[in-house]
Amino acid sequence: MEYFNALLLSSVPEGRMIALDMQTVGNILIQLFNAVLLCAILTFLLYKPVLKFVQGRRARIEGQLTQAADDVAKAQELKAQYEKQLADIQVERGEILEAAHKLALEKTNEMLSEAKREVSAIREKASADIQNEREQINAALRLHIIEVGSLMAGKFVTHSIDDATQSRLFAETLAELEETAWPE
Amino acid sequence: MDFNIQNIWTFEVGGVEVWITRTIVNTWIIMALLILFALVVRVKLGGFTEVPGKFQNVIEAMIEAFDGFVRGTAGDKVSYIGGWFFTVFSFILVSNLSGMFGVRPPTADWATTFALAFATFMLIHVLGIRHRGAGGYFKSLCEPMLPFLPLNIIGELARPVSLSFRLFGNILASLILMSMLYSLAPVFLLFVIPIPLHGFFDLFAGVLQTFIFCILSMTFIGIAATGEM
Repeated sequence: MEYFNALLLSSVPEGRMIALDMQTVGNILIQLFNAVLLCAILTFLLYKPVLKFVQGRRARIEGQLTQAADDVAKAQELKAQYEKQLADIQVERGEILEAAHKLALEKTNEMLSEAKREVSAIREKASADIQNEREQINAALRLHIIEVGSLMAGKFVTHSIDDATQSRLFAETLAELEETAWPE
Repeated sequence: MDFNIQNIWTFEVGGVEVWITRTIVNTWIIMALLILFALVVRVKLGGFTEVPGKFQNVIEAMIEAFDGFVRGTAGDKVSYIGGWFFTVFSFILVSNLSGMFGVRPPTADWATTFALAFATFMLIHVLGIRHRGAGGYFKSLCEPMLPFLPLNIIGELARPVSLSFRLFGNILASLILMSMLYSLAPVFLLFVIPIPLHGFFDLFAGVLQTFIFCILSMTFIGIAATGEM
């Protein structure tokens, strides 16, 4: 190895391409130190702060997205509640309308029954009045006929019959009246 | 035409001569650019808003995509190593692309790629033990049965070597090819011929090798940490 290095160094006195000697080990250590130093500087100046910033913003955005998802879920819940309330209101409205309709129907039937009852009562009263009136008229007519008949009979009797006939007729009439009852 | 890594200056530590090479200087330049970019972002981060503007959008998309890349490849369990891989990815990418601007890519030096691969190797074993326990991790080295332990150990040791040489070899090959092309091409075609080849060797191969290095490293770490393929 030393021979190879010596040969390499003698052929290229101003420098070399590769060698395995203490100088190379020294250079490796220097480069290792340089790399570690650069890593420390770049990590603490650039990589970590920027990554922290990006991750912080990502966490904030994820938080906002979670919040937005929660808000959407709450909104959906409220919407479902409102829709349920609307459905309940519709059902309640239907029930109220049905009850009102039923009540109106009952009232109408009641009023109709009342009207029918009144009509029936009026009709009955009118029938009774008509019947009374008819009876009164019949009675008055009968009396009038009797009066007229009596007058005519009186006049006829006055002019045509004597007292004996009159008495006999009167007796017969009384007898007939006793046999036949007056119409009601 | 010089493919070698030039020495800028040398010093001694404990009797060992340490070379400060062009690779290391270029690494510092790339580090300075990346740190400057990070500083600009850090300053502008204070003005970042909920609705991002163009610059903020690019930065956020970049970091978010990388976080997703790490989580998707290594798993959520070890997503905290995203910072390391973001650094490795940025550094390798900028290094590989620096060849387009006449800079010798630090990744064309095996010391750089091995340093990164060695870090991956350490992460594989440290995170494997951390997440699965020493016993559980050792058991995974004995799969499918105990006699396979030496083979598995060799396989583990080979990982940083293969990772580092894959990246190093590809970038060095691109560097050599482009250097040869610049030497061979006629002067009046120097601004015409290299453009598509820069696109292939530096841009395409550079981005591809960056992805390969990071994906393999993350996959190894993910498997070691979770035990799931």
